[in-house]
Amino acid sequence: MTEKFDSLEEHLEKFVENIRQLGIIVSDFQPSSQTGLNQKLNFMVTGLQDIDKCRQQLHDISVPLEVFEYIDQGRNPQLYTKECLERALAKNEQVKGKIDTMKKFKSLLIQELTKVFPEDMAKYKAIRGEDPPP
Amino acid sequence: LSRRRPGTTELTGSTNLITHYNLEHAYNKFCGKKVKEKLSNFLPDLPGMIDLPGSHDSSSLRSLIEKPPICGSSFTPLTGAMLTGFRLHAGPLPEQCRLMHIQPPKKKNKHKHKQSRTQDPVPPETPSDSDHKKKKKKKEEDPERKRKKKEKKKKKNRHSPEHPGVGSSQASSSLR
Repeated sequence: MTEKFDSLEEHLEKFVENIRQLGIIVSDFQPSSQTGLNQKLNFMVTGLQDIDKCRQQLHDISVPLEVFEYIDQGRNPQLYTKECLERALAKNEQVKGKIDTMKKFKSLLIQELTKVFPEDMAKYKAIRGEDPPP
Repeated sequence: LSRRRPGTTELTGSTNLITHYNLEHAYNKFCGKKVKEKLSNFLPDLPGMIDLPGSHDSSSLRSLIEKPPICGSSFTPLTGAMLTGFRLHAGPLPEQCRLMHIQPPKKKNKHKHKQSRTQDPVPPETPSDSDHKKKKKKKEEDPERKRKKKEKKKKKNRHSPEHPGVGSSQASSSLR
Protein backbone atom coordinates (compact mmCIF):
# COMPACT_ATOMS: atom_id res chain seq x y z
CA MET A 1 0.00 0.00 0.00
CA THR A 2 2.70 2.48 0.96
CA GLU A 3 4.90 1.59 -2.05
CA LYS A 4 2.64 3.43 -4.49
CA PHE A 5 2.76 6.49 -2.26
CA ASP A 6 6.55 6.23 -1.96
CA SER A 7 6.89 6.30 -5.75
CA LEU A 8 4.64 9.35 -6.06
CA GLU A 9 6.40 11.09 -3.20
CA GLU A 10 9.77 10.48 -4.82
CA HIS A 11 8.61 11.91 -8.15
CA LEU A 12 7.05 14.91 -6.45
CA GLU A 13 10.20 15.63 -4.43
CA LYS A 14 12.35 15.49 -7.57
CA PHE A 15 9.89 17.71 -9.40
CA VAL A 16 9.79 20.29 -6.61
CA GLU A 17 13.58 20.28 -6.32
CA ASN A 18 13.85 20.84 -10.07
CA ILE A 19 11.46 23.77 -9.87
CA ARG A 20 13.40 25.22 -6.95
CA GLN A 21 16.65 25.03 -8.92
CA LEU A 22 14.86 26.59 -11.88
CA GLY A 23 13.89 29.47 -9.65
CA ILE A 24 17.49 29.93 -8.54
CA ILE A 25 18.70 30.05 -12.16
CA VAL A 26 16.01 32.53 -13.14
CA SER A 27 16.42 34.76 -10.08
CA ASP A 28 19.81 35.95 -11.36
CA PHE A 29 20.01 34.76 -14.94
CA GLN A 30 23.26 34.62 -16.88
CA PRO A 31 23.47 33.80 -20.61
CA SER A 32 25.69 30.80 -19.82
CA SER A 33 22.83 29.32 -17.78
CA GLN A 34 20.55 29.02 -20.83
CA THR A 35 21.48 25.39 -21.48
CA GLY A 36 20.88 24.45 -17.87
CA LEU A 37 17.57 26.30 -17.94
CA ASN A 38 16.44 24.40 -21.04
CA GLN A 39 17.44 21.15 -19.40
CA LYS A 40 15.42 22.00 -16.29
CA LEU A 41 12.39 22.94 -18.38
CA ASN A 42 12.47 19.60 -20.17
CA PHE A 43 12.96 17.81 -16.88
CA MET A 44 9.83 19.59 -15.69
CA VAL A 45 7.91 18.00 -18.58
CA THR A 46 9.31 14.52 -17.92
CA GLY A 47 8.65 15.02 -14.21
CA LEU A 48 5.00 15.71 -14.95
CA GLN A 49 4.90 12.61 -17.16
CA ASP A 50 6.24 10.49 -14.29
CA ILE A 51 3.71 11.96 -11.86
CA ASP A 52 0.92 11.33 -14.37
CA LYS A 53 1.96 7.67 -14.63
CA CYS A 54 1.47 7.31 -10.88
CA ARG A 55 -2.23 8.12 -11.30
CA GLN A 56 -3.16 4.61 -12.37
CA GLN A 57 -1.90 3.11 -9.13
CA LEU A 58 -3.82 5.63 -7.08
CA HIS A 59 -7.18 5.74 -8.88
CA ASP A 60 -8.92 4.17 -5.85
CA ILE A 61 -7.61 6.72 -3.35
CA SER A 62 -10.14 9.35 -2.22
CA VAL A 63 -9.22 12.58 -0.50
CA PRO A 64 -11.91 14.54 1.36
CA LEU A 65 -12.42 18.02 -0.04
CA GLU A 66 -12.35 19.52 3.45
CA VAL A 67 -8.61 18.78 3.66
CA PHE A 68 -8.02 21.19 0.80
CA GLU A 69 -9.52 23.98 2.91
CA TYR A 70 -6.85 23.40 5.53
CA ILE A 71 -4.07 23.37 2.94
CA ASP A 72 -5.39 26.52 1.27
CA GLN A 73 -5.29 28.28 4.63
CA GLY A 74 -1.68 27.20 5.21
CA ARG A 75 -2.69 24.82 7.98
CA ASN A 76 -1.39 21.32 8.70
CA PRO A 77 -3.77 18.76 7.11
CA GLN A 78 -3.15 16.42 10.03
CA LEU A 79 -5.32 18.84 12.01
CA TYR A 80 -8.23 17.73 9.82
CA THR A 81 -7.62 14.10 10.79
CA LYS A 82 -7.30 15.09 14.44
CA GLU A 83 -10.51 17.09 14.36
CA CYS A 84 -12.37 14.26 12.57
CA LEU A 85 -11.35 11.79 15.26
CA GLU A 86 -12.24 14.20 18.05
CA ARG A 87 -15.65 14.95 16.48
CA ALA A 88 -16.31 11.22 16.01
CA LEU A 89 -15.45 10.51 19.65
CA ALA A 90 -17.52 13.44 20.92
CA LYS A 91 -20.54 12.34 18.85
CA ASN A 92 -20.00 8.76 19.97
CA GLU A 93 -20.10 9.85 23.62
CA GLN A 94 -23.14 12.04 23.02
CA VAL A 95 -25.12 9.24 21.36
CA LYS A 96 -24.03 6.73 23.98
CA GLY A 97 -25.27 9.11 26.64
CA LYS A 98 -28.64 9.39 24.89
CA ILE A 99 -28.96 5.61 24.52
CA ASP A 100 -28.09 4.99 28.18
CA THR A 101 -30.52 7.69 29.34
CA MET A 102 -33.32 6.29 27.17
CA LYS A 103 -32.70 2.79 28.54
CA LYS A 104 -32.83 4.04 32.12
CA PHE A 105 -35.99 6.00 31.36
CA LYS A 106 -37.64 2.94 29.82
CA SER A 107 -36.75 0.83 32.80
CA LEU A 108 -38.14 3.40 35.27
CA LEU A 109 -41.27 3.90 33.20
CA ILE A 110 -42.01 0.17 33.07
CA GLN A 111 -41.37 -0.04 36.82
CA GLU A 112 -43.79 2.76 37.64
CA LEU A 113 -46.42 1.63 35.15
CA THR A 114 -46.28 -1.86 36.63
CA LYS A 115 -47.14 -0.38 40.04
CA VAL A 116 -50.16 1.45 38.63
CA PHE A 117 -51.32 -0.99 35.89
CA PRO A 118 -50.03 -4.40 36.94
CA GLU A 119 -52.29 -6.51 34.71
CA ASP A 120 -51.79 -4.43 31.59
CA MET A 121 -48.06 -4.38 32.12
CA ALA A 122 -48.04 -8.12 32.56
CA LYS A 123 -49.74 -8.44 29.15
CA TYR A 124 -47.27 -5.97 27.69
CA LYS A 125 -44.28 -7.92 29.00
CA ALA A 126 -45.75 -11.15 27.69
CA ILE A 127 -46.02 -9.67 24.17
CA ARG A 128 -42.77 -7.73 24.11
CA GLY A 129 -40.66 -10.11 26.12
CA GLU A 130 -38.39 -9.28 29.03
CA ASP A 131 -35.89 -6.49 28.35
CA PRO A 132 -32.39 -6.85 29.81
CA PRO A 133 -31.70 -4.46 32.69
CA PRO A 134 -29.86 -1.24 31.69
CA LEU B 1 -48.93 -1.81 20.61
CA SER B 2 -49.72 -0.80 17.05
CA ARG B 3 -46.18 0.11 15.97
CA ARG B 4 -43.59 -2.43 15.09
CA ARG B 5 -40.40 -2.35 17.06
CA PRO B 6 -37.42 -0.81 15.30
CA GLY B 7 -34.88 -3.33 14.09
CA THR B 8 -31.78 -3.96 16.16
CA THR B 9 -28.26 -3.55 14.84
CA GLU B 10 -25.00 -4.78 16.25
CA LEU B 11 -23.30 -1.40 15.78
CA THR B 12 -24.91 1.50 17.66
CA GLY B 13 -23.73 4.80 19.07
CA SER B 14 -23.07 3.11 22.39
CA THR B 15 -20.18 1.15 20.83
CA ASN B 16 -16.75 2.73 21.01
CA LEU B 17 -16.26 3.32 17.29
CA ILE B 18 -12.55 4.15 17.66
CA THR B 19 -11.96 0.66 19.07
CA HIS B 20 -14.40 -0.99 16.68
CA TYR B 21 -12.56 0.33 13.60
CA ASN B 22 -9.07 -0.23 15.14
CA LEU B 23 -8.24 3.46 15.20
CA GLU B 24 -6.61 3.60 18.64
CA HIS B 25 -3.15 4.03 17.13
CA ALA B 26 -4.37 6.84 14.88
CA TYR B 27 -6.21 8.47 17.79
CA ASN B 28 -3.13 8.37 20.04
CA LYS B 29 -0.95 9.67 17.22
CA PHE B 30 -3.12 12.65 16.32
CA CYS B 31 -4.94 13.41 19.55
CA GLY B 32 -2.43 12.16 22.11
CA LYS B 33 0.14 14.83 21.35
CA LYS B 34 0.06 18.31 19.95
CA VAL B 35 -0.17 18.58 16.17
CA LYS B 36 1.61 21.64 14.85
CA GLU B 37 -0.54 24.25 13.23
CA LYS B 38 1.35 25.30 10.12
CA LEU B 39 1.56 23.60 6.75
CA SER B 40 5.34 24.03 6.79
CA ASN B 41 5.49 21.72 9.83
CA PHE B 42 3.88 18.99 7.73
CA LEU B 43 6.00 19.74 4.65
CA PRO B 44 9.26 21.16 6.02
CA ASP B 45 11.21 20.68 2.80
CA LEU B 46 8.77 22.40 0.47
CA PRO B 47 10.27 25.71 -0.76
CA GLY B 48 8.36 28.97 -0.81
CA MET B 49 6.11 30.67 1.72
CA ILE B 50 3.55 27.87 1.99
CA ASP B 51 2.01 29.06 5.25
CA LEU B 52 0.35 31.95 3.48
CA PRO B 53 -3.25 31.42 2.31
CA GLY B 54 -3.55 30.16 -1.25
CA SER B 55 -5.86 33.03 -2.15
CA HIS B 56 -2.93 35.49 -1.78
CA ASP B 57 -1.14 34.27 -4.87
CA SER B 58 -3.97 32.40 -6.63
CA SER B 59 -2.39 29.06 -5.75
CA SER B 60 -5.37 27.58 -3.90
CA LEU B 61 -6.39 23.99 -4.49
CA ARG B 62 -10.04 25.00 -4.42
CA SER B 63 -9.60 27.24 -7.45
CA LEU B 64 -7.90 24.32 -9.20
CA ILE B 65 -10.91 22.11 -8.53
CA GLU B 66 -13.52 24.72 -9.39
CA LYS B 67 -11.71 25.91 -12.49
CA PRO B 68 -9.42 23.14 -13.76
CA PRO B 69 -6.91 24.35 -16.36
CA ILE B 70 -7.67 23.38 -19.93
CA CYS B 71 -4.76 21.33 -21.23
CA GLY B 72 -3.97 18.51 -23.63
CA SER B 73 -3.95 14.86 -22.77
CA SER B 74 -0.22 14.24 -23.11
CA PHE B 75 3.06 15.82 -22.05
CA THR B 76 5.41 16.48 -24.96
CA PRO B 77 9.00 17.62 -24.46
CA LEU B 78 9.78 21.17 -25.53
CA THR B 79 11.39 21.39 -28.94
CA GLY B 80 14.23 23.76 -29.85
CA ALA B 81 11.79 26.19 -31.40
CA MET B 82 9.65 26.21 -28.26
CA LEU B 83 12.69 26.72 -26.06
CA THR B 84 13.59 29.93 -27.89
CA GLY B 85 10.63 31.44 -26.06
CA PHE B 86 12.53 30.86 -22.81
CA ARG B 87 15.54 32.97 -23.67
CA LEU B 88 15.87 35.32 -20.74
CA HIS B 89 17.55 38.66 -20.18
CA ALA B 90 20.57 38.55 -17.92
CA GLY B 91 20.41 40.10 -14.49
CA PRO B 92 18.57 39.74 -11.18
CA LEU B 93 14.80 39.54 -10.78
CA PRO B 94 12.85 42.25 -8.94
CA GLU B 95 12.86 41.66 -5.18
CA GLN B 96 9.24 40.52 -4.89
CA CYS B 97 9.81 37.70 -7.35
CA ARG B 98 12.97 36.40 -5.70
CA LEU B 99 11.17 34.97 -2.66
CA MET B 100 10.08 31.79 -4.48
CA HIS B 101 13.05 29.65 -3.60
CA ILE B 102 13.47 30.93 -0.07
CA GLN B 103 12.40 28.36 2.47
CA PRO B 104 10.78 29.22 5.80
CA PRO B 105 13.10 28.83 8.82
CA LYS B 106 13.31 25.13 9.53
CA LYS B 107 12.70 23.85 13.02
CA LYS B 108 14.48 20.75 14.20
CA ASN B 109 12.52 17.74 13.12
CA LYS B 110 12.91 14.12 14.12
CA HIS B 111 11.82 12.95 10.68
CA LYS B 112 14.10 14.63 8.18
CA HIS B 113 13.36 14.29 4.50
CA LYS B 114 15.75 12.22 2.53
CA GLN B 115 16.74 14.58 -0.32
CA SER B 116 19.87 16.68 0.00
CA ARG B 117 19.91 20.35 -0.97
CA THR B 118 22.46 22.56 -2.71
CA GLN B 119 22.57 26.29 -3.19
CA ASP B 120 23.71 26.06 -6.82
CA PRO B 121 21.72 24.23 -9.46
CA VAL B 122 23.06 20.80 -10.34
CA PRO B 123 22.14 18.32 -13.05
CA PRO B 124 19.36 15.90 -12.17
CA GLU B 125 20.54 13.11 -9.89
CA THR B 126 20.82 9.58 -11.14
CA PRO B 127 18.55 7.12 -9.31
CA SER B 128 21.53 5.43 -7.61
CA ASP B 129 22.80 8.78 -6.25
CA SER B 130 19.43 9.74 -4.83
CA ASP B 131 19.05 6.31 -3.23
CA HIS B 132 22.48 6.64 -1.68
CA LYS B 133 21.62 10.05 -0.30
CA LYS B 134 18.28 8.80 0.97
CA LYS B 135 20.07 6.11 2.96
CA LYS B 136 22.33 8.72 4.52
CA LYS B 137 19.34 10.92 5.44
CA LYS B 138 21.49 14.03 5.86
CA LYS B 139 21.16 17.49 4.35
CA GLU B 140 24.10 19.56 3.21
CA GLU B 141 24.76 22.44 5.58
CA ASP B 142 25.34 26.02 4.55
CA PRO B 143 28.99 27.12 4.72
CA GLU B 144 28.02 29.65 7.41
CA ARG B 145 26.43 26.98 9.60
CA LYS B 146 29.45 24.71 9.10
CA ARG B 147 31.79 27.47 10.23
CA LYS B 148 29.69 28.14 13.33
CA LYS B 149 29.58 24.45 14.18
CA LYS B 150 33.36 24.19 13.87
CA GLU B 151 33.77 27.15 16.21
CA LYS B 152 31.45 25.51 18.71
CA LYS B 153 33.42 22.28 18.57
CA LYS B 154 36.68 24.16 19.14
CA LYS B 155 35.19 25.79 22.22
CA LYS B 156 34.06 22.41 23.53
CA ASN B 157 37.53 20.97 22.94
CA ARG B 158 39.08 23.77 24.94
CA HIS B 159 36.77 23.23 27.93
CA SER B 160 36.63 19.41 27.92
CA PRO B 161 39.35 17.75 25.97
CA GLU B 162 37.88 14.29 26.64
CA HIS B 163 34.44 15.22 25.27
CA PRO B 164 32.90 11.96 23.97
CA GLY B 165 31.00 13.61 21.12
CA VAL B 166 33.97 15.23 19.39
CA GLY B 167 35.12 12.22 17.40
CA SER B 168 31.62 11.11 16.33
CA SER B 169 30.42 14.62 15.46
CA GLN B 170 33.49 15.19 13.32
CA ALA B 171 32.78 11.93 11.51
CA SER B 172 29.14 12.83 10.96
CA SER B 173 29.94 16.28 9.56
CA SER B 174 32.07 14.68 6.87
CA LEU B 175 29.15 12.49 5.73
CA ARG B 176 27.23 13.72 2.73
